[in-house]
Amino acid sequence: MVTFYRRLPKFDYLAPQSIEEALALLSRYQGSAKVIAGGSDVVPKLKRRAMKGIDYIVDLKGISGLDYISYDGAGLKLGPLATVRAVERSDVVLETFPMLAQAAESMASPQVRNRGTVVGNICNAVPSADMAPSLLTLDAKVSVVSEKGSRTVAIQDFFTGPTKTVLSADEIVTGIEIPNPPANSRGKYIKLTPRRAMDLAVVGVAVMVTPENGICKDLRIALGAVSPTPIRVAQAESILKGNKFSDELIDQVAEAAAEGCRPISDHRASAEYRRDMVRVLTRRAIRELLSDEAASAQGFGKGA
Amino acid sequence: MAEFSLIGKSVPRVDGVEKVTGKAGYAADFSLPGMLWCKLVRSPYAHARIVNIDASRALRLPGVKAVVTGKDFGGWTWGWMPATRDEPPVAVDKVRYWAEAVAGIAAIDEDTAEEACDLVDVEYEELPGVFDPEEAMKDGAPAVHDYAENNISVQYHWNFGDVEKAFADAYIVREDRFATSRATKGYIEPPATLAYYDPSGYITVRAAKQSPYFHYRHLAACFKLPLSRVRVIQPYIGGGFGGTKNDSLAGDFCAVLLSKMTGKPVKYVESMEEELTTSRRRHNMITYSKMGATRDGIITAIQHKVIADGGGYTAVGPLSLYLAGFGTTLPYKLDNFKYDGYRVFTNNPMGAAMRGHGVTHTRFAAECQMDMIADELGMDRLEIRMKNSIDNPAPGTTYTTINGVTLKTCGMKEAFRQVAEPYWHERNELPKKEGNISWGVGVSGAPYLTGARQMGHQACAAIIRLCEDGTVNLITGATDCGQGSDTVLAMIAAEELGIPVSAVISQKVDTSYTPADPGSYGSRVTVLGGQAVQKAAQEVKKQLVEVAAQTWKVKPEDVDIRDGMVFVASDPDKQMPFDRMARVACYSGTGAVIMGTGYSTYGLEPLGMESGYGNAGVSYSFTAQTARVGVDLETGQLTTQSFTIASDCGRMLNPLLAEGQIEGGAIQGLGQAIYEDFIMDKGRTLNPTFVDYKMPHSVDIPEMKLIDVETNDPDGPYGAKEASEASHVSTPPAVICAIHDAAGVWIKEQPATPEKIVKALKEKAKEKAQK
Ligand SMILES: Cc1cc2nc3c(=O)[nH]c(=O)nc-3n(C[C@H](O)[C@H](O)[C@H](O)COP(=O)(O)OP(=O)(O)OC[C@H]3O[C@@H](n4cnc5c(N)ncnc54)[C@H](O)[C@@H]3O)c2cc1C
Repeated sequence: MVTFYRRLPKFDYLAPQSIEEALALLSRYQGSAKVIAGGSDVVPKLKRRAMKGIDYIVDLKGISGLDYISYDGAGLKLGPLATVRAVERSDVVLETFPMLAQAAESMASPQVRNRGTVVGNICNAVPSADMAPSLLTLDAKVSVVSEKGSRTVAIQDFFTGPTKTVLSADEIVTGIEIPNPPANSRGKYIKLTPRRAMDLAVVGVAVMVTPENGICKDLRIALGAVSPTPIRVAQAESILKGNKFSDELIDQVAEAAAEGCRPISDHRASAEYRRDMVRVLTRRAIRELLSDEAASAQGFGKGA
Repeated sequence: MAEFSLIGKSVPRVDGVEKVTGKAGYAADFSLPGMLWCKLVRSPYAHARIVNIDASRALRLPGVKAVVTGKDFGGWTWGWMPATRDEPPVAVDKVRYWAEAVAGIAAIDEDTAEEACDLVDVEYEELPGVFDPEEAMKDGAPAVHDYAENNISVQYHWNFGDVEKAFADAYIVREDRFATSRATKGYIEPPATLAYYDPSGYITVRAAKQSPYFHYRHLAACFKLPLSRVRVIQPYIGGGFGGTKNDSLAGDFCAVLLSKMTGKPVKYVESMEEELTTSRRRHNMITYSKMGATRDGIITAIQHKVIADGGGYTAVGPLSLYLAGFGTTLPYKLDNFKYDGYRVFTNNPMGAAMRGHGVTHTRFAAECQMDMIADELGMDRLEIRMKNSIDNPAPGTTYTTINGVTLKTCGMKEAFRQVAEPYWHERNELPKKEGNISWGVGVSGAPYLTGARQMGHQACAAIIRLCEDGTVNLITGATDCGQGSDTVLAMIAAEELGIPVSAVISQKVDTSYTPADPGSYGSRVTVLGGQAVQKAAQEVKKQLVEVAAQTWKVKPEDVDIRDGMVFVASDPDKQMPFDRMARVACYSGTGAVIMGTGYSTYGLEPLGMESGYGNAGVSYSFTAQTARVGVDLETGQLTTQSFTIASDCGRMLNPLLAEGQIEGGAIQGLGQAIYEDFIMDKGRTLNPTFVDYKMPHSVDIPEMKLIDVETNDPDGPYGAKEASEASHVSTPPAVICAIHDAAGVWIKEQPATPEKIVKALKEKAKEKAQK
């Protein structure tokens, strides 16, 4: 039967006042409870009946003090209720981690960004999640708690498949920690979309490069929407590391990035186009980061 | 009248404040006490026999009040023409497209109705489906309707002049295949209705319809009631653009029948995903175009074979296919034209009308092919258009095309002249390449018709009643579905009566009181509704002037009304504000009832659909357009930088509204050209959301420069013609020709997505390498 729902399925809405209370609810309702932050992924999914067996919604928004964006000299900390919009506009993010602000700005519309959170974006774990590639290049760490205890997961290990993460049903992410990037590094996120706004990434490429006297001291490349999860392409990164920048090597890196992903064909693009674009955009990102004017550059749609 | 007081002025919309403050009531905003909610059970197959429907589990769910299936409509079917009545309100023994409705449920609330859908047990026998119109025409393809041989739903074969000879004589002949996409209207109000079949045998509905009178007739026929027992009340309409809101849908019929069965009002509101999956869309059409020209670039012959994907039922398809043929002889002179059009049934959602109806498909093909010919001849693309375009007939004369289309005004050539300067500037002075972006400029011309003729009832009518407070009630059958016609019609009434627009109180359609009208259909309201209002207002003025003449004991010819005053020009003592004169008329003596009526008389001959000869509309609008587009040669991404659009829409009655329409048409055309397409998998729509069905957003819209080419057509109130469908038609070719100019590749299948462009660039590079 095909039914087009306008109404949400029935569930109980729970509004805990503390993380402890939230964790207790999750462990009590074992898998039939779902955490929401902004709800911009969860609510449409519930409506489409793409999320089954959810009897309880545990809303974190009633818990105070979770929307922090703080910087302590060693790194940045994002709370689970820090919205995409807040990250996009935060002075410290703009100053210290401009790539994150840039990725945030590439998402959805101001309305959705005001609602959606960065933590929600990575927990939802679609391959095209826009915050993921930059966080991957920044070696972010995800703090996770449950009633049983807490753990820290490197973002590289966080995603396990399309819409799947290492989180179990009774766990909550309490924050993301992002260490300072290497000195003199610069990063860029290029999101490929047909339109200039409100599009999901056909391909997302984040590149962070640390040049030193014409030598590539460090290179990190992460890709979105071209594999079952957002990924780093270590093989591609290693080609330039320690070597002098040259067009030839940059082309090789781009080629290796294209080889290193596993795109699918769907209604948004073919696998072939996605792979081609990984090659094009990886090369473009590195080149643009190397040219001085582009040091503070923005992605497509901003006159790149 | 030499000088108008309102016509030609940018009067703000009469409903603007109500709309932006959220006070305007749309169909889904209405409720009635005791109301039930209707939800449709839809098929998970694109083509299947319905073996059995068992609703007993659904009926046992507390809160469910009734279930209807296709059989409950007693075999009634409907369609645009008597010969094509092939669509039942709800599928009876077979479903012909994915998610076609098979049952309707009424329950005490929407949640219960939705829950009950899963409890209706439908047994299907899946049938092989056919999803490609060219495959569907082949012998042995699965039959969508038993009555249609080779799945051909409608076909036309017209032959004017002698194309064979013209091709033989031509210096150059090109043959290409073009295709348009599966585009949709993209309005923000999905279909909705609130229906009540009261026990005494009257149907009352408030429905989101841009042609309420079509719905009125459908309901009367379906429920076998005299028309006088059906009342369709029109609320505010949140966009129309043709197709779905001209027609009646499964939800409309089910809501009424469920109301009849339960004795309660029943409400039905479609979800956006439902609308995008099931509703009528623009036909995607394949055009095999053959064009011949002389060495000097004079186009001597066009032969079009068009194959239109009609989907599961005929709907308005005969008109769509007719318009795709008729439009080809405009806006250029053409002596030889052959058309073979086929609308083909498939197991896809239905193809139907949409802004730029019919003409957009073949004009796209012809404009692109003209550029190809110009390029091969080494001729400029604007020059070839200037050379071929139809001249403006001298006042009092008519230009007749080879297929009998008559033009009294044609601003095509002037429009091309007007865009020439921006075209040359953009081509020759602006950069051709910036980084990865290669820039190109396209130019195109397009016609559209004003007031599409109907097979049946054609005219628009108006009644104007003078009220004692000096306001007038404007009663028409016209529907403002967002285009602003309530404002324009009020301006016409006010202009004729010499009163302010605020003194005209427009009534929305209520089929019990307003005169019958085809509604917002084929760019007709301003011209045909406008003529009706103009006449009705003149009638009211005559009667009121009569009263004034008697009051002042002067001749009626000496009395006039302007700026809210009734006066005798030669005698400053004899003047009175309009509202006071209205009271004099209403209160003195027996108390006159001042009321005027009018109806349109333009364009009354019926459509020559079989012969292809004669007019499709009352008059014809024209646009010339340029587009500057940047192509990222590596990613295929497009930057649409600017449009210049010169339009001949006769006389602009309200530039603010007309320009809004022209820009809106162009933006919708841009969507069709580069973004919009339903991606299908065996009849199922894979992108039924506005995230993945991509319409241009505000940030995607180019700078637009509009130029008004005034022609003042004799067949339109104050010289008005259609505005916005022509700019919708001229945009896709302008953009796609600009892409070719920029990147050297022809994207002959809309939309020109980045991926298609990259693929074409790769192929071009490969070809070059082979040479
Ligand atoms: C119109 C529209 C456009 C969009 N465009 C984009 C886009 O361009 N790019 C993009 O990447 N996304 C886009 N999205 C998706 C979405 O807005 C983002 O992913 C957003 O960041 C999700 O955040 P949220 O707080 O709303 O998540 P929610 O919906 O609240 O949650 C998402 C997931 O994360 C889990 N979760 C949330 N917080 C926690 C926590 N603290 N601990 C454990 N699990 C948690 C939830 O259980 C759920 O599985 C769009 C969505 C919409 C509706």
